[in-house]
Amino acid sequence: MTLSEAEKTFILHGVQENFRIDGRNRDDYRPMELETSIITHAFGSARLRLANTDVVVTVKVEIDVPFPDRPLEGKMEFFIDCSANATPDFEGRGGENLATEISNTLTAAYSSNSVFDYTKLCILKGRKCWKIYVDILILECGGNLYDAISIAVKAALWNTSIPLVKSVTIDGNNVDMNVSENLSDCIKLDISAAPLMVTLCKIGDHCVVDPTSAEEQCSQGAIVVAISKGKFSTVFQTGGGSLHPLTLMEKLKLGAKVGNRLEEALSEALSKIKENGEMGFLN
Amino acid sequence: MHTTKIFIKKNKIGNYLKHAREHYIRDDIYCGFESCDKCTRATSNLSSKHVNKCNLLKNNHYLILDTNVILDQIDVLDENVIGNVIILNTVLKEVKHRNMPIYKRLISIIENPSRHFYIFVNDFNKGTYLKQELTELINDYNDRCIRKACSWYIEHIPDETFVLLTEDKNNRAIAQQEDIPAYSIVEYVQNLTANENLIDKLAKKEFQEKFNAADIFPPHLTIVEIDKGIKDGRLHQGTFRASRDNFLEGSVNIQSFEEDVILRGYSNLNRVIDGDVVAIEVFQKDQWVSPSELVLEDDTVNALDDNLERKELEISKQRTSKKNIKPTGRVVGIIKRKWRQYCGILQEGSAAVYHLFLPADRKIPKIRIETRQAETLKTQKIIVAIDSWPRNSRYPNGHFVRALGKIGDMKTENEVILLEHDVPHSQFSEEVLSCLPKLPWLITEEDEKVRVDLRGIDICSVDPPGCTDIDDALHCRPISDDKLEVGVHIADVSHFIRPYTALDTEAASRSTTVYLVNKRIDMVPDLLSSNLCSLRGGEERFAFSCIWEMDHNANILNTKFHKSIIKSKRAMTYEEAQLTIDDKTQTGSLAESLRNLNKLAKFLKKRRMDNGALVLASPEVKIMMDSETHDPIDVEVKKLFETNSMVEEFMLLANISVAEKILNDFPDCAVLRRHPEPPALNLEPLVKAGKHLGFEINIESGKKLAESLDQATRDDNPYLNTMLRILATRCMLQAVYFASGTFQKHEFFHYGLAVPLYTHFTSPIRRYADILVHRLLAVSCGADATYPDLMEKKKTAELCQNMNYRHRMAQYAGRASVALNTHLFFRGKIQDEKGYILYVRKNALQVLIPKYGLESTLYLGKKDEKLDIFTYNEEDQTQRCADVVFHAFDPVTIRLSMDSKNIQHEKFVLQLVFPVIEGFSVPPLEDVEMPEPEIPHKKRKK
Amino acid sequence: MSRKELISKVGLRLDGRRADELRRIRCKLGVFSEPDGSAYIEQGLTKVLAAVYGPHQVRGNRLKAQADAVIINCQFSMAVFSTSERKKRPRGDRKSTELSLHLRQALIAAIEVEKYPWSQIDVYVEVLHADGGIFPACVNAATLALIDAGIPIKEYVCACTASIANNNQAMVDISHEEEILGGPTLTIVALPMSEKIVLMEMSQRFHLDHLKSVLEKALEGCKNTKNILDQAVQNHIVDVGASTGWASTGEKVKR
Repeated sequence: MTLSEAEKTFILHGVQENFRIDGRNRDDYRPMELETSIITHAFGSARLRLANTDVVVTVKVEIDVPFPDRPLEGKMEFFIDCSANATPDFEGRGGENLATEISNTLTAAYSSNSVFDYTKLCILKGRKCWKIYVDILILECGGNLYDAISIAVKAALWNTSIPLVKSVTIDGNNVDMNVSENLSDCIKLDISAAPLMVTLCKIGDHCVVDPTSAEEQCSQGAIVVAISKGKFSTVFQTGGGSLHPLTLMEKLKLGAKVGNRLEEALSEALSKIKENGEMGFLN
Repeated sequence: MHTTKIFIKKNKIGNYLKHAREHYIRDDIYCGFESCDKCTRATSNLSSKHVNKCNLLKNNHYLILDTNVILDQIDVLDENVIGNVIILNTVLKEVKHRNMPIYKRLISIIENPSRHFYIFVNDFNKGTYLKQELTELINDYNDRCIRKACSWYIEHIPDETFVLLTEDKNNRAIAQQEDIPAYSIVEYVQNLTANENLIDKLAKKEFQEKFNAADIFPPHLTIVEIDKGIKDGRLHQGTFRASRDNFLEGSVNIQSFEEDVILRGYSNLNRVIDGDVVAIEVFQKDQWVSPSELVLEDDTVNALDDNLERKELEISKQRTSKKNIKPTGRVVGIIKRKWRQYCGILQEGSAAVYHLFLPADRKIPKIRIETRQAETLKTQKIIVAIDSWPRNSRYPNGHFVRALGKIGDMKTENEVILLEHDVPHSQFSEEVLSCLPKLPWLITEEDEKVRVDLRGIDICSVDPPGCTDIDDALHCRPISDDKLEVGVHIADVSHFIRPYTALDTEAASRSTTVYLVNKRIDMVPDLLSSNLCSLRGGEERFAFSCIWEMDHNANILNTKFHKSIIKSKRAMTYEEAQLTIDDKTQTGSLAESLRNLNKLAKFLKKRRMDNGALVLASPEVKIMMDSETHDPIDVEVKKLFETNSMVEEFMLLANISVAEKILNDFPDCAVLRRHPEPPALNLEPLVKAGKHLGFEINIESGKKLAESLDQATRDDNPYLNTMLRILATRCMLQAVYFASGTFQKHEFFHYGLAVPLYTHFTSPIRRYADILVHRLLAVSCGADATYPDLMEKKKTAELCQNMNYRHRMAQYAGRASVALNTHLFFRGKIQDEKGYILYVRKNALQVLIPKYGLESTLYLGKKDEKLDIFTYNEEDQTQRCADVVFHAFDPVTIRLSMDSKNIQHEKFVLQLVFPVIEGFSVPPLEDVEMPEPEIPHKKRKK
Repeated sequence: MSRKELISKVGLRLDGRRADELRRIRCKLGVFSEPDGSAYIEQGLTKVLAAVYGPHQVRGNRLKAQADAVIINCQFSMAVFSTSERKKRPRGDRKSTELSLHLRQALIAAIEVEKYPWSQIDVYVEVLHADGGIFPACVNAATLALIDAGIPIKEYVCACTASIANNNQAMVDISHEEEILGGPTLTIVALPMSEKIVLMEMSQRFHLDHLKSVLEKALEGCKNTKNILDQAVQNHIVDVGASTGWASTGEKVKR
C-alpha cells in the first residue's frame, strides 16, 4: 500500500501538532497483547501483538561446542522468518534482507555478557554448552517491528526453562552428561538485563515512537536504540536521511526514557501472566 | 475433554527435545457392571454369578490389582479360583511395558469369559483421570490413579464391595485412609475359602523363616552403575552359560575376549542362572584358572541349609595347570533375567513345608519352594517358577506351578520334553477347529473350473511306511520321443488354511510338526494333516503341481506351476517302490514312470554332486515300539533305498524351481532358505582330524570340501568316511528361513546343497514356511490374491524368525525323545557292541555306536582319578597304553549298560572289551553275539 | 508382535480416541487485518495459519495472466520451530514445494476460477505446530481463509488422513505419534458434499484389500471436518454480523 502526497502531508502535520492520525502523542505506544507458552513443544515462547504487528518467538536449546575463543560461554542464535502471511512481498526469499537486518541487530544487542550471561549456558569448559535458538516468526507487519520483536524475544527468554544437567563425566574424549528429563527440574534464564529496542522515527522535525506502517512511509530515517538497564547496548540508524549530531543526542535521551518506561511496563505485564492461559490465535 | 502431556526426551544425536502429546478424556467408558445404568453399554465379562469367598470380607466382592501383584502372582491368577477382577488400563500398560510374556498370559485370562476379568480404561475416563504433578514420580502417580479408580468404583456402584490388592504397604495405608479396603495378595489368598493349592502358587520373594539370615552373596550393582562400568570398560556384558557338569562353574561369552570367561564359585557366580544377561568383571591375569574337569553335583538335601563352604572348598582344592588358563571373572550385576518355568522333581528328604526342587535341566540350580502337598508331589514331575534370589539365600526362591504327571510315565516324560523345548502342544481350540471344512468334503464344479484336472494321470506317492501325512506325489510320462513330463504334486494346504483365520495364526505359531518317537504334535489339525491334505492313494485331492518338461538327460526344458486335482494311484513305501522298479516283470505305466523317475534322479544327483553339494551324515535310528505297552523293544538304523534318493532329488528340484519363481516375482518378501558357509574356525576340528589320518581336508569352498571328503576313504575302515562326514555335519551352521528383502543377494546361497537359491515348498502339512511359499506361488501363477501381511517384508521376517526358532526346538525335542527312548530300551540291559572312537580326550574316549546312533564317553580310568596306564599325546590326539594305541576313528568293542541311580539323568556306562588291556578291559559277554556294525545311511541335508 | 499396537485391546488409540474419531478441531476466521482473508485452525496439536491476498493484479511477470481463469498462487511454509526437532529452514525444500503444488491443485478444484480472469489470488499457509496431518490442516485452513476473503468457491474443500492399525483396522486423522509408529498413511482432499476426491496421496504402499476401507474412513473424516468448518463459518458470520447490527435478531444466517 503506497500513500499519496496529501496523505503524507496529513500525517506530517499530525506529528508536528503531537496529535497523530490514530490520536496518540509522539511518545505513545499502541496497545499490546502479550502471551507466553503458546508453543507447547518449545522450551520457551511468546507472542506479541502490537496493534496489527504480530510476532511469535520461540526458544529451543541444543547441546553444542563453545567457540574456541570463548570456552566458558554458551551460544545464542537469532533466526527471523518473514512469513508471506504478513505481505506477499515476503513470498519465497522476499523477506530475507529484512530478516538478516533484524537478526544482525538482535545479535549485536545481545552480544555482551553484561546484557545476557552466556557463562550460565556453559556445561563443560571448551567442550559442551547449550546453544539457544531464538526463532522469530513475523506474521503481520503493522509498523515498528524492532520494538515488537525485542519485547517478544525478552518475554520468550523469560518464559524459557532449560533442562537441568545433573552431572557431567569425562572419559577421554567422551563427555557423558546426565540430563534430567523431568520437567520440574528445569532452570530459568536471567533476563533482567535483556535489552529492549525503541525505534525513534523522524517525521518532519520531530521523532515519534511506535510508528505505524503509514508513518514509517513518511519518515526520513529512524534510529533504533537497544536499552539494557538504562544503558545502551546498541544504537543504529536506518532508512535514508541524515541527522544533526544535536538531534541525535536528543533522540538518544528520548530513547532511553521510552526504553525504561517500556521495561517497567513489560516486567509488570510478565508478573501478571498466568500459566496455561491457552488462548493463542483463537482469541 | 482434552489435555496435553508434555515431556522431554533425548533424541538419537543426543539433543533434548520437548514433545507434546494429546490425551483425550472420555465420558463413554463402560464400568463393566450390568447393573449400572449410568454408563454406555459395552461387553464385559464381570458377572454377579461368580462369587469370591474370602474370610477377610463378609460378602462377595470385586478385586482391583496393582501392577506388582500381577507381575509376581500371575500363577495364582491363572488358577480358576479368583474371578471378577477389574484390570485398570494403567496397570495393564505397565505390565505390558515391564514383562511381555506375563502380559500375554494376562490377556489370555482376560479374554476367557469364564474368568470374569474386565479391563477398565481408567486413564481415559473422565471420572478417574488424574493429571501427573510436575514433581510426582511415575510410580506414585500410578498408585494414585489406581486408588482414584477404586474410590470411583465405590462411589459409582455403591451396592458392591471393591477391594484393592497391593503388596505395597504404603499404598495400602493411604488406600485405607481413603476408605478403600486394601489387602496384600498373600493375606487375601491365605484367607480364601478353598485355597489349598493356591497358597503353594504364591510367589515367594522372601521366606518368613529367613528374614534375618545373614547375607551370603555380595550385592549386585544397580543398572546405572553397570552402565557406567561398561562404558568405562571395567565391566563386560554377556550371556551366562552354566556348566552341565559342575554346578559351581559357568562361562560368559563377551565381545572383547576371544575366549569365554570362566566364572567359578558361589560368590563369583553370585546368583546367576543359565541364560541370564549379566555384567561381569574380569580378574587380573594371575587369578585366571583353567576350566575344571571336575564333575560336581549339588547334593544338599535340606532346603534351609545355607552353608556354602563345603563345596567351595572342594573346587578351590583343584590344581590349576598353568598351561590351560582362561580369562576368569565374577558376576557383579544382572542386566536381564531369563527365568522361565522349569520342569523337574521334588528332592526327597526335606520335612516340613520347605522343599528343594530339582530341575530336569542340569544347568539350573535347585530351587526352594514351599508346599503342603509334598506327599502327592513326590512321585510327580512338576513345574516350578523362580521368584527371587535374595542375598541371604543359597537357593533361588520359587513356587509350585503345576504337576505334569507320574515320574517315568511316557506321557509325563513326553510332556516334559515338549515343555522344555517350548513346543506348543495344547489341543486345537474350538475357534481353530471351526475353520476346518465340514465333512463330507466334496469337490465342486467351481473347484474344477479353476484347477487343472490331473485325475487321469498315473500319479503315486512314495513315503516311509506308516506315513499318514503324505504331502508329495510324483508322476512321469513321455510326451514325445525325446521329452518326458515330470510332475511333483504337493498337497494344497494353503487352500484350506486361509490368512487371518485362527487356524492360520495357530499354524504360524506352531510353525512345524514335531515328531517324537511315539507321538506326533501336528502343526494343523488331524482332519487336514491325515485326511484332506494327505495325498492318499485312490482319493481325489487338491494339489499344487510343479510340472517340468525334461529330456532324457534330466535337462529342464520348461517349468510350469498350477493348482490341480489329482488322484494318486497308489501310496507306496520306499521299499515297495524299490521292488516295483527292480521287478522286471512289472511293466505297468506306474512301474515305467517310476523307472524313468529313478533314471532322471540319477542324472540330477550327479549334477548336484558335481556342483559341490555336500554329502553329510548323522547317525539316525528308528526305535521300534511295542504296540501294546508303547515301550521301545528295539533300536535299529533306518534302512535306505534308491527310491529315497529318487524322491529327494525331485523334491530338491521342485524347491529350487519354486525359489527362483517366487524370488523373481517377489524380490522383497519371498520366503527362502539359506545355509551360510561355515567360518573356517568351525571347520578346524574336521581339518585336524583329517590331518591325523593323513588326509588333507580342503575347506576353501563347498565343492573342494565335498571332493576332499570323497577322497578320504580307507579300505581297512569303511566306516571312516562316514565318521568324517558326521564330523563335518557338526561343523556346519544351521540353515535358516529368511525374507528375501532382509538379506543381500549373495547371502541367499545354500552352502550344503550348493545352490544359489533354495526354499521349502514340498511339505506344507508339516512346515509353515511351505504354506507361505505356496501362497506366494499361488499369487505368482494367478491362482490366488495377495493379502497385506504377505507383502510385508517385516512381517515375513518376523514369521521366519519364529519358524527358525520352532524348527530348531523341534529338532532338539526329537533328539531328546530318541535319547529318552534309547535309555528306556537299555534300562537293565548289558550288551557288548562295536563302536568307533570319535574324539580322543585327555581322560576319555568319545565313542560312537552306529547300531544305536549313540555317542557316549569311555572314561580311561575312574572318574576324577586318572589311571596312569594311559599316556595322552596332545599332538597326535592319541592315548597309548603299552602297545595299544587309540587313534580317532579306530574301531573298538565296548560294553554298554545303564546307570539309573539318578532318575532324572540316567546315563550310559561304557567299558572297554576290545582291544584287551590288562587290568582295564572286561572280558566279552559270551552269550552276546557280535554283529557286524551296519553302516548308517548317508543323509543329505535338506 | 514387535510393532506397537495403535489400537488397544479396548478399542482406544494411543491418545484415547476411537478409530473413527477426529482430533479436536478448533478454528477462527479473520485472525489478521492485513490480508484480505485469514484463518487459524487447530487439529489436535497441529496448528496452521492461512492468509489470502486477492484477487489482485498479477504480480511479477504479467504474461502469466490468463484470460479465462484466475491464477492461484500458493506457498506452504513451516515455522522452524513447528517440529520437535528444530528445522533448518521454513520453506524452499523439496517437501514444501511439493505441498505448495498440492495445495494449489486442491484449491483450484474448489475456487470458481473463471470469475476472475487476468487476476491472481495468493494463498499462504504457515504451520506453527506439526503433529501429524499437516497438509489436511493446511487445506482446511486455506478453505476458511478463502471464505473469509469472500472468494466464491463451489463448495468446501476438506482434507483428512487415514491409516491402518494393527494390520486390519482403518483409523482416521493420524497424529504424529501414530504416523511414526504405524504403517502407510493415506491423505485425501475431497469435495465432501459432492463426494468427489480432488487429490489422494499415499506415504507408502497400501495393500489393495485395505485401500477401500481406509479411503472410506478418510472420506468420512472429510465430511465430518466439513460440518465443523461450516459451523465455524456460521458462527463467524453471526459474530461479525452482530457487531454491524444486521444479525441482531440472533437468527442464524444461512449460507
